[in-house]
Amino acid sequence: MAADPKPIRVLIVDDEELARRVLREFLGEHPDVAIVGECANGFEAVKAASDLSPDLLLLDVRMPKLDGFEVLELLERPVAVVFVTAYEDQALRAFEVHAVDYVLKPVSPERLAEALGRARARIGQPAALPLGALQAASREPGQYAERILVRDAAKVHVIPVEKLDYVEAQDDYIGLRTGGKTYLKQQTLAEIEAALDPVRFVRIHRSYILNVERLSKIELYAKDSRAAILADGSRLPLSRTGYQRLKGLL
Amino acid sequence: MHPILSRGRVGLYLAAWIPVGGLLAALAAVAGRRTILEALALTIPLALIYAFICLGSWSLCRALPLERTGFATIAVSQAAGAFVSCTLWLIFGRGWAAALGRIAGDPGIERRYTDDLPLFFAAGTLLFLLSAVVHYLLIAFEASREAERRALELQVLARDAQLRALTAQVNPHFLFNSLNSISALAGGDAAGARRMCLLLADFLRKTLALRERDEIPLGDEIALVDAFLAVEQVRFGERLRVAQRIDPGAELCLVPPLVLQPLVENAVSHGIAGLIEGGTIVIEARHAGGRLDLTVVNPADPDRPKKHGHGVGLKNVRDRLATRHGGAARVEAREENGTFTVALSFPAKSFSGIGAAPAPAPADAAAAAASSTSADADGDAVPRRAPGAVEA
Repeated sequence: MAADPKPIRVLIVDDEELARRVLREFLGEHPDVAIVGECANGFEAVKAASDLSPDLLLLDVRMPKLDGFEVLELLERPVAVVFVTAYEDQALRAFEVHAVDYVLKPVSPERLAEALGRARARIGQPAALPLGALQAASREPGQYAERILVRDAAKVHVIPVEKLDYVEAQDDYIGLRTGGKTYLKQQTLAEIEAALDPVRFVRIHRSYILNVERLSKIELYAKDSRAAILADGSRLPLSRTGYQRLKGLL
Repeated sequence: MHPILSRGRVGLYLAAWIPVGGLLAALAAVAGRRTILEALALTIPLALIYAFICLGSWSLCRALPLERTGFATIAVSQAAGAFVSCTLWLIFGRGWAAALGRIAGDPGIERRYTDDLPLFFAAGTLLFLLSAVVHYLLIAFEASREAERRALELQVLARDAQLRALTAQVNPHFLFNSLNSISALAGGDAAGARRMCLLLADFLRKTLALRERDEIPLGDEIALVDAFLAVEQVRFGERLRVAQRIDPGAELCLVPPLVLQPLVENAVSHGIAGLIEGGTIVIEARHAGGRLDLTVVNPADPDRPKKHGHGVGLKNVRDRLATRHGGAARVEAREENGTFTVALSFPAKSFSGIGAAPAPAPADAAAAAASSTSADADGDAVPRRAPGAVEA
């Protein structure tokens, strides 16, 4: 007899107790599956995914705080994901983020077994997806981001874009400035620029994206050298193309 | 614009006046010792001129609608109208008689006309009043046609809105999630699964019963909402809490079906479902000052993505109330400090209206009363918090 393979470590994420219960019951039929935890919302899921290092997430889409796609965006290392949801209209997005499978509620044991089979084949060779692709998929198609998620060790910050003052490039990170605080996120300025509504956010400099609503005035301090003065008094450099873009918008 | 002039019926209208001219000629010939030829030459053109003068009666009739004007006002105004029109006409007549006299070389024509002035005056007054009667009939006819057209339009709109409401009335995802819950319960809690099946059946049956109904007592709608919430309670458990404040009189008010349930469904799926700890949905119905005010309040995560808002359900309710009540209905949705509120206000229509109750109404009222108490009776088989219970 072949050696017992390493069990698949599964994390169940669903805000409804009964939905978790039925998954638990069906998973119980598979001796090679170990349930390492259950989460009732997106925040818990992000934390549990890094604490418990599961091989597979069974992930609901609609949940409080963070939806399933946003959870995926915040994971520190790639994990195989099977979405479990009553909504059929998210399947395309699910496959864009390389989900292993997309199972509809009510869940049948056969369908779940099939998804587990696919997951077994995938585990151990997880394809890391660039963060930009994950973020693009975590938005509804054709929509700009409404909120930016930042992970800070075990804590997740949700920044609604209207509260964002500006974004600053800092080496491999971007600094998201909001209400006097700066949140660091590992991402490029170009990626966040693509996610933000160009009518509200303008790249004013190689290293800066500005929320146009925060602009108080433009100051000319030398020939062809300008600075953007924000409502709170901060001062950001304004490149010549940045100035043209800003002017085009205002 | 006068309907006769605006619709190219002038020829027909004038043709109708030629016999009038003939009649006048006969009268003039008998009473005024004229030849019939002279009488015709005098009265036919005069009749045609009077046809135009009498069109003026349209404006007078429109300014004095029968249903909103006292008899005295109408009598005096129409008499004055007749006097002015008639005088104007007779001045024309005098000119025409003089012209005829010169053409025929018979000054007697004008003299005989002057002699018969009282006769022409009497005939002219009578004709003017007759035309007023015809105009009033015309106005009534136009009004009834307009009302018919509008009623038809409203009916089409109402059907349309109802159809859309009915298609949307059972959200399939609500069903899928409920079935998933039943499947979960079936694993180790057969009694719970069975109970959930009954709750779901109760809600579906109540929804079906609303089909083909234009209006239902609010009590029935609230029973439907209770049935819906009973199912969602199983899914969300402690996260879903409900408080109802229903005025005792409000339950008998007539409302379009599915006026509250879609709002409560929104409150669950866009409010409670997005909160880790859940929250309390407050449903209020007030009946005061001839109006019914319905309010659904729920907590909502202010940071949630706004894409899937309260959209379709709310729009549907708004459309249907607008179809029924026009500008008299108000629908207000607002969100502040993590609380989402939808407030509906429209004229209350009640069974208890004085003498207005149609024959089947008392039976319906009884049914409504029965159903609002049976919600409690159902409560034995199906544990539900009694309406009015408020969790802290």
